[in-house]
Amino acid sequence: MEKYWNKEIECASREDMKKLQDERLVAQVKHVYENVKYYRDLMDEKGVKPEDIKGTEDLHKLPFLSKADLREAYPYGLLAKPLGDCVRIHSTSGTTGKRVVAFYTQNDVDMWEDCCARAITAAGGNEDDVVQVAYGYGLFTGGMGLHGGSHKAGCLTLPMSSGNTERQIQFMQDLGSTILCCTPSYAAYIGETVAEMGIKPEDLKLKAGIFGAEPWTEEMRRSIEKSLGIKAYDIYGLTESSGPGVAFECSEQTGMHINEDNFIPEIIDPETGEVLPEGQVGELVFTSITKEAFPLLRYRTRDLCVLSRKKCSCGRTLIKMAKPMGRSDDMMIIRGVNVFPSQIETVLIEQGYSPNYLIEVDRVNNTDTLDISVEMNPDQFSDKVKDMQKQERDLAVAIKTMLGINPKVHLVSPKSITRSEGKAVRVIDRRKLHD
Amino acid sequence: MSNVKQISVFVDNRPDQAAGVMRIIKESGVNLRALSLADTADFGIIRLIANDTEKAVEILRAASYAVNVTEVLAISIPDTPGQLSRVLDVLGQDNVNVEYMYSFLGTSDRAVSFVIRVDDNAQAAEALNRGGIIQLTENDIAEM
Repeated sequence: MEKYWNKEIECASREDMKKLQDERLVAQVKHVYENVKYYRDLMDEKGVKPEDIKGTEDLHKLPFLSKADLREAYPYGLLAKPLGDCVRIHSTSGTTGKRVVAFYTQNDVDMWEDCCARAITAAGGNEDDVVQVAYGYGLFTGGMGLHGGSHKAGCLTLPMSSGNTERQIQFMQDLGSTILCCTPSYAAYIGETVAEMGIKPEDLKLKAGIFGAEPWTEEMRRSIEKSLGIKAYDIYGLTESSGPGVAFECSEQTGMHINEDNFIPEIIDPETGEVLPEGQVGELVFTSITKEAFPLLRYRTRDLCVLSRKKCSCGRTLIKMAKPMGRSDDMMIIRGVNVFPSQIETVLIEQGYSPNYLIEVDRVNNTDTLDISVEMNPDQFSDKVKDMQKQERDLAVAIKTMLGINPKVHLVSPKSITRSEGKAVRVIDRRKLHD
Repeated sequence: MSNVKQISVFVDNRPDQAAGVMRIIKESGVNLRALSLADTADFGIIRLIANDTEKAVEILRAASYAVNVTEVLAISIPDTPGQLSRVLDVLGQDNVNVEYMYSFLGTSDRAVSFVIRVDDNAQAAEALNRGGIIQLTENDIAEM
């Protein structure tokens, strides 16, 4: 029997949802226009007035916001409430440039935690569960978001934060954690450590995991599910729109339901900005219609994905987004071909390798080079050099089949690639250093 | 069978990798009889014959090394010109394909020993027997 945190919203009819979105959008545009000079200037430039927006069908008239705008407006330029009304700040990791800070009123925090509570409920969580939050706590939204959601859902909350993996597993055993929340790469590392400590998945009480904050593949999902004996649920979010919980997965595991009572999604052509019809791949854009302090309208996420309104077996009517193929920042153009790390990860897991790898891109004599270091599989180890070189060649061929370009594959020792407790660093692009 | 157990260890092609393996072996008190290192641009494979295979494998695995054990042949031949050529002729006549081989010193200064890795140990052992070449057993190695 499927359980919902807020059935009225999660299973609302399309008409009711649209009506709610229309009302909220109209009020939000007015709020932003009146209080955020930065966005008012953008609207004026485009010749759009708040009264031009009567419902979601007018959304396309509004100007976009991008990460560059957020950086330009840093720190207070997009703030829509007096600081006195705000209760919290979070920030992006800043790995791709200057940090972005986001502000929250108490209502914003409540809305965000409500979204996370929906995700936890969809993963089977309730007051009988022990939720181990192994996302980092602090400026990063992962820890605080799931922590608040877990509280709200009435779960016993274990605020571990990330790191100290053996202690994570010790507590998991001693306190009988049933739901684990962390990044997928950290979940994989915990799974690996569980096996190393000689613990069987069935000795743990874990039943589910809620993993997000970085792209991960279906193959990685299956591998984590096996190593921890759980069902692994995806969760999506970004600091700019609150944090994890913008969208969450249900038992069907075929994409994430977007909390569209708070966030209206659109898919656009990343080149032209044109809105694309449902089912087409493009850049995901979000409009926050309930956020008070930091309400971003038409924010370009740079995540590439597909939306679907296909009926879901879980009963929720919330629109679904497919697992993003990757953030457009993660996409590398190598010898003119678009390459996502997730494509390489898929091949590695299919071929029996661990999801620990390092992609190095460089440019030598004006030609891009792609080097992939992969941990060799101890079960496939042979004393013959030619056997091991054949494994490298076979893997290179499989990757070439997927990407269309030839990589150089380097087998390295098991456990020699640094494990991540948060967001994993998988790519080093040295070409950028030459610019 | 007079096959001998060989331990292979995967190492990265970086400084201090072989030394790391040797430090672990040293701490375990295991004594090595023979060793060869094959290397490629990316990695190396250290092959060892030890006086206590089980113990060496256990401590290397505990240190997260990829390790495997294969059965190889070990022979002892007089340390005079032309002896190795004779061995290879004997194997070649029986169509035994040698993957790799490496030499090591036994206890006698008039003999030299070799590890020979072939695909079919039984066939090779038979050829060596017929050619009158002395094969070493696990015991011979342990007692060296």
